[in-house]
Amino acid sequence: MALLEMHRVTKVYGEGASQVLAVRDIDLSVAAGDLLAVMGPSGSGKSTLLTIAGSLEDPTSGEVVIDGQLLSGMSRNDKARLRRRSVGYVFQDFNLLPGLTALENVSLPLELDGVRARRARELAAAALEELGLDERVAHFPDELSGGERQRVAIARATVGERHLLLADEPSGALDSASGEAVMRMVLAACRRGLGAVVVTHNAQLASWADRVVFIRDGRLVDQTAIPPSPESLLQQGSEP
Amino acid sequence: MTLALERVAPVHRSDTGGAPARRAIVRWTWRLFKREWPQQLLVLCLVTVAVAATIVGAAVATNTPLPANEGFGTAQDIATFSLPSRSFPSELATLRHRFGRAEVIEQAPLVLPGSVQTFQLRAESPHGTFSQPLLSLLSGAYPRRQDEVAVTAGVASAFRLRIGDRWRVGGQTRRVVGTVANPENLLDEFALVLPGAIAEPTHATVLFDAPRVSAASIGPTVRSVTHQAPPNVVNPESISLAGVTLGMLLIALVAVGGFAVLAQRRLRSIGMLESLGATDRHLRLTLRANGVIVGVAGAVLGVLSGFAAWSAYRPSLEQSSHHVIGELQLPVAVVVVSMGLAVLTTFLASGHPARQMTRRSVVAALSGRPAPPPRVHRTVVPGVVLLVGAFLLLTVSGGMIGGGMPELVLGLAALIAAMILLGPFFLSGVAELGRRAPVAVRLALRDLDRYRARSGPALAAVALGVLIAVVICVAASARYGNVLDYTGPNLASDQMIVYASSHASGAVMVKRGGPEQRGNSAKTAKAPPLAVVRKSVLGIAAALGTRDVVELLQVPVTLQRAAPGRNFTGPLYVATPSLLRAFGIKASQFSPSADILSMRPGLAGISGMHLLPSGPGPLHGPGPGGLAHPVIETVSALPSGTSAPNTVITEHAVHELQLSPTVSGWLVQAPATLSASQVASARQAAAALGLSIETKDDAPSGGQVISYATLFGIALALAVLAMTVGLLRSETAGDLRTLAATGAGSRTRRALTATTAGALALLGALLGTIGGYAGAVAWFSASTLNGGVSALANVPLRSLLFILVAMPLFAAAVGWLVAGRQPPVIAHQPME
Repeated sequence: MALLEMHRVTKVYGEGASQVLAVRDIDLSVAAGDLLAVMGPSGSGKSTLLTIAGSLEDPTSGEVVIDGQLLSGMSRNDKARLRRRSVGYVFQDFNLLPGLTALENVSLPLELDGVRARRARELAAAALEELGLDERVAHFPDELSGGERQRVAIARATVGERHLLLADEPSGALDSASGEAVMRMVLAACRRGLGAVVVTHNAQLASWADRVVFIRDGRLVDQTAIPPSPESLLQQGSEP
Repeated sequence: MTLALERVAPVHRSDTGGAPARRAIVRWTWRLFKREWPQQLLVLCLVTVAVAATIVGAAVATNTPLPANEGFGTAQDIATFSLPSRSFPSELATLRHRFGRAEVIEQAPLVLPGSVQTFQLRAESPHGTFSQPLLSLLSGAYPRRQDEVAVTAGVASAFRLRIGDRWRVGGQTRRVVGTVANPENLLDEFALVLPGAIAEPTHATVLFDAPRVSAASIGPTVRSVTHQAPPNVVNPESISLAGVTLGMLLIALVAVGGFAVLAQRRLRSIGMLESLGATDRHLRLTLRANGVIVGVAGAVLGVLSGFAAWSAYRPSLEQSSHHVIGELQLPVAVVVVSMGLAVLTTFLASGHPARQMTRRSVVAALSGRPAPPPRVHRTVVPGVVLLVGAFLLLTVSGGMIGGGMPELVLGLAALIAAMILLGPFFLSGVAELGRRAPVAVRLALRDLDRYRARSGPALAAVALGVLIAVVICVAASARYGNVLDYTGPNLASDQMIVYASSHASGAVMVKRGGPEQRGNSAKTAKAPPLAVVRKSVLGIAAALGTRDVVELLQVPVTLQRAAPGRNFTGPLYVATPSLLRAFGIKASQFSPSADILSMRPGLAGISGMHLLPSGPGPLHGPGPGGLAHPVIETVSALPSGTSAPNTVITEHAVHELQLSPTVSGWLVQAPATLSASQVASARQAAAALGLSIETKDDAPSGGQVISYATLFGIALALAVLAMTVGLLRSETAGDLRTLAATGAGSRTRRALTATTAGALALLGALLGTIGGYAGAVAWFSASTLNGGVSALANVPLRSLLFILVAMPLFAAAVGWLVAGRQPPVIAHQPME
């Protein structure tokens, strides 16, 4: 069963002369264990696609189904519950909460879902240990390096029962070595049964994916199942 | 590295996360408060000060009067008997038979030769069940034998006694064994002996408990403690609670702005939280929990500060209120309620920004961009409606006898709400006006409009401070400017009036050329002759280092105005040659036909005045013995105190009305401010002759009230500006970075901050002044008692200039000075 399905999704911002068509008629499907990379130039609608896929934004038209649940008609609270239980986000600028330690940042989604603090912290500590951060659990975000922050963000996105990982330029603020490490972690999560969508500019990182889709001016212009090489991906993305 | 995560065992969980989610949110909020509390300092300080002031104010108000059970100890009833009395033993036996325990305190007068002071020789058990609270041992021991005595400090001082001295008192020689006091009344001076140790007591007090029996049914000299306290529903606790409620309402308005700023600063974090699956309720909880934390912190700090201030002030209060006050003798109900109100205020104040916060989309919140300002017309229309409503309510209130308190409160609330809603319109207007201004000024004014969500509450808070100040200034100017019902300090600090009787109404009649004669029936029979009194007054004046004494004569007429509204108040002394000479007024300075001379500016111009015989009767006209339309002239050399001869009737009018003046007192002009000991000595000397004195009281002058109100308004407005201008400018750090990149230097930064501060201050001053005057015009227009709208002719110009000109200039100048240093955000983007 597909974890994420998008049918003829369109998103329009603004009205009249200032109207912008960010995403148009996108059809997409991500199954359990899939790692999907989304590539495209700046302003092509990649991030918008991801926010719609993660229920952070409603499409102007079309349907989004996560874990078999249709988003349209869902209340804000139902969407919030869906995000807590099914969707994990990783942002380019980490988006860790200031004032909470690495451990507390990771345990927060579980606590928000009603898991008792002690149990949530045990699970969070295990997640951080898996990512090699067992000695940094008590550190606050501003005491961690960029790579460490992103690893904390990945741990937070995958802890618990979530099946869908959405990552928006997860390596955008990292050096190439850290970027590759992040992709390796995302891939490992997929091998355990999670579905993942990664938006990236980086063809090298996109080549880690099982499938790559290209977006230009809000349209899905091409996709490839097994990316041959980073160079060919770049070439594919630039063709009209 | 591999990812092999343990899955959460599926358990039944609440859709909203339940208690664990709430705990997590509150924990995060607490962490943020600990990191960011300086940004909430203004609200925290306001709450702290309000709670502390309430505690101290209520403690002082409740503890200043003597306790309701003063003299009762722990007993509920007191019976007093004159002794010797044959019936006393049997009556005492009856009381003991009916009510059980009854403790007797016997007393006899104790005279200090050559002194008017009186003391008591008291036979009382220091260990009595009822009387124990009436005694405390300061040093030495209580008397244990018939020939021992303990004395209060006043008795020890008057009779020059020390512990161990032998003293003949009450017909026998006794040894002084200790120093004692009555904690319930420190003015109570007595010598204490054992019960039954007074040979000839003159009266006795019996303490007993008569539950559920009325005092009157026991006997005519019986009093019950339940009837001791006056049935005053407006007690100090109620007044304190009303004050703190009003104060908290004002703080809530400031706090709404503060929390709105806080919500914007946390917008990205809120977006992150929402992306993790936090519900709207969780998001609102972040700000509401913050409100509660600020309230609790403010309440706790307020209680601690209040208690510290109370502890420091308590000894002084004990001295001035003449009874012992316990360290913990605080009105617990007021403390608890003020703390509760503090928490409730900040909780409610955080509600609106919390709701607004959840209306943003997650993506917009994550971007950290402020919400687009609401359209101006959405707030202008309800603002104008509320302004009209406020005007009507205040007009109704002003026209009602007794003030129409509900209408007044509702009207003021509507006025404040109208100002909050009209604020955005002013911000848009000023941005429009600045279209052609230099770039830094233009940018600053536009930012005020763009970030109306933040600048709006700041403007409302500034305007509110100014509104309070303007309302007080305008009302004080109108009230203090009323020349008929003259208000203000009674005397200067170097003046004293010695009244001819212990009651100010008492007087001694002076018949021209004839013998002096008493004018006040029974009491004056024992009073000394006027010549003796005069000599004594001169003695009192000499003790103050002056011979400058003016005899004050009065005649039985009053100055009245036959028109609705306030009427003439104050004494009307006779303008004797000596009085005029004392104030340097020559006969040539006023017309020989003048009837009244007054320093009150404007009194001469008031029509419909009459001189009427004093005493009961209708005020329709002068009638027999009166004078219509007396000639009133202004003489500014007369003193301005309300008890001083600020308005005098000329000898010409006295002669015309065939009146006989009476001596009512003497105005003593001392060379310097009178000290407390000088006043005490003068009071004692006057009391010995049955006279009384009056010195400067604590009533503030109109100028003082206006100055304090102006300072308060300006201080509150500047505090709000200090909190908000920095935050408003930090919103535009990106713009500042762009400006720096295009070559703008410190001058531009200074101009931006100075314009932001100055414009907000000016707009707040304008809005507050307009609101204050609108409210005052509405209220006074219907208040004939207070002279209608014409009462507002006395404009507090100096205060308005300070508020409208000096305050904005000061705010701009401070903004200019502090904005010179390049902020670190220009070089480094701050991490969220």
